[in-house]
Amino acid sequence: MSAPVLQVRDLAYDYADGTRALAGVSFSVNAGERVALLGPTGAGKSTLLLHLNGLLRPRAGGVQVHDLDVGGENLREVRRRVGLVFQEPDDQLFLPTLLEDVAFGPLNEGLDPHEAEHRALDILSELGLAGREERPAHHLSGGERRLAALATVLVSRPSILVLDEPTGSLDAAARERVVGLLTRREETLLVATHDLPVARALCGRGIVLVEGRVAADGPLEELLASPTRLSGYGLRASFDPVG
Amino acid sequence: MSFRHLDRFADQASAMTRLAPSARLGIVLVVAVAAASLPLGAWLQMGILLLLVLVLAAAAGMKPQTLALRSSGPLLFVLLASTALLFLVPGETAARLGPLTVTDQGLLRFGSVLGRALPAIGAAVLLVSTTRFPEVVEALRALRFPLVVTSSLGLAYRFLYLLIDELERLRRAAESRNAGGGTTRRRRISAGFAATAVVRTFARSERTHRAMRARGYEGRLPTLHPHPLDRRSGLVLGAVALAGLAIALSARVPL
Repeated sequence: MSAPVLQVRDLAYDYADGTRALAGVSFSVNAGERVALLGPTGAGKSTLLLHLNGLLRPRAGGVQVHDLDVGGENLREVRRRVGLVFQEPDDQLFLPTLLEDVAFGPLNEGLDPHEAEHRALDILSELGLAGREERPAHHLSGGERRLAALATVLVSRPSILVLDEPTGSLDAAARERVVGLLTRREETLLVATHDLPVARALCGRGIVLVEGRVAADGPLEELLASPTRLSGYGLRASFDPVG
Repeated sequence: MSFRHLDRFADQASAMTRLAPSARLGIVLVVAVAAASLPLGAWLQMGILLLLVLVLAAAAGMKPQTLALRSSGPLLFVLLASTALLFLVPGETAARLGPLTVTDQGLLRFGSVLGRALPAIGAAVLLVSTTRFPEVVEALRALRFPLVVTSSLGLAYRFLYLLIDELERLRRAAESRNAGGGTTRRRRISAGFAATAVVRTFARSERTHRAMRARGYEGRLPTLHPHPLDRRSGLVLGAVALAGLAIALSARVPL
């Protein structure tokens, strides 16, 4: 059994208006594990992901990445190790060209500009975005933007890849392309998604978050095998219109 | 939207696009400074500067009428802003337009503003037509403009498109529900668009800031290496700078 690379302990967080987002979340993820974070809208999935990178400070509890507590002087190293891909690619692509966007992380880590550019070109090529280096994000398709957002994170060679709805608003072909790419990656993977087929294709373990708490944690196939259980968590394995 | 095709001459191989972006930006600055330094009524020098811009436009493969069309927007703004000079500057009466009197000094100043604006605007239009915006930002960096200025421009460029897309989505949503009616209602809808866009932009800026911090941003935007000013570009820029200096001096020094 490999050692945990990510440990979340009794994590609690309230929004500024007092709304409880996380109410004592605990779990750990081992090296190389691929975990789907499931739950209905508003369950706290995105809020939890922001804590893994130290972007939000918990009210109570904490997160440990490898042997580092998330926060304070460890933040720079934590952010290098945990690659966080946001739900909306446009939030993540903010510089005039794709190349600059992808090189942004390595440059912040202090890499020499030539090395940063070299790495950025390599990852763009690996993701099938060669030739688009000088394009601004608004000249890319939705699927390309999603891959570009992934490239901005993979370029820093994180050991843990955290993705928030990686296939949201993508057509079937683009969705398959993103999932195909992620299945080939070797990083530890934590994916927040509503898309159960995507979760099944990518992950062996599922954590269900409901109202800021872990409602279930176990093999994904077992979770998905019980429509009644899923329904109890506000999730659906199939589509049945109400009324 | 035509806004997206401002730089459509940038991908054409031409004598202009072969110059380093910093040289193209330098040429604009030279023309603008030379034009601004010309005294009132230096018509010959203003004409020579305009001719220089037309020659540069030809080198970029841009027809004079295209340059004129693209310059018309900013030029209209200059016209509107300077029309008052015709009537407000004291001088001898040159003409009467109803209750308004055009003075000779007003005409001189108005003409001089236009004469200076034409080459300066033409050069700026030439720059944005032949240079992609990221290259303009790189050129500003190469010319040692403050990082805060170049970084802000880079971010603003990206956000401008996001804002345009946002407004476009709002407009379509309104049109799909038959938005229309009288002027007052249209104004109210437009005000609603603006307010919604501002709120959404704030939310987006918050999310973007998080995305930047997640990738190690600590208050300083790093840059990849700027395009160096090669020898050929340097020579062309130097020649244009000398020409600009000669034109400016010729208007000041009596022959």
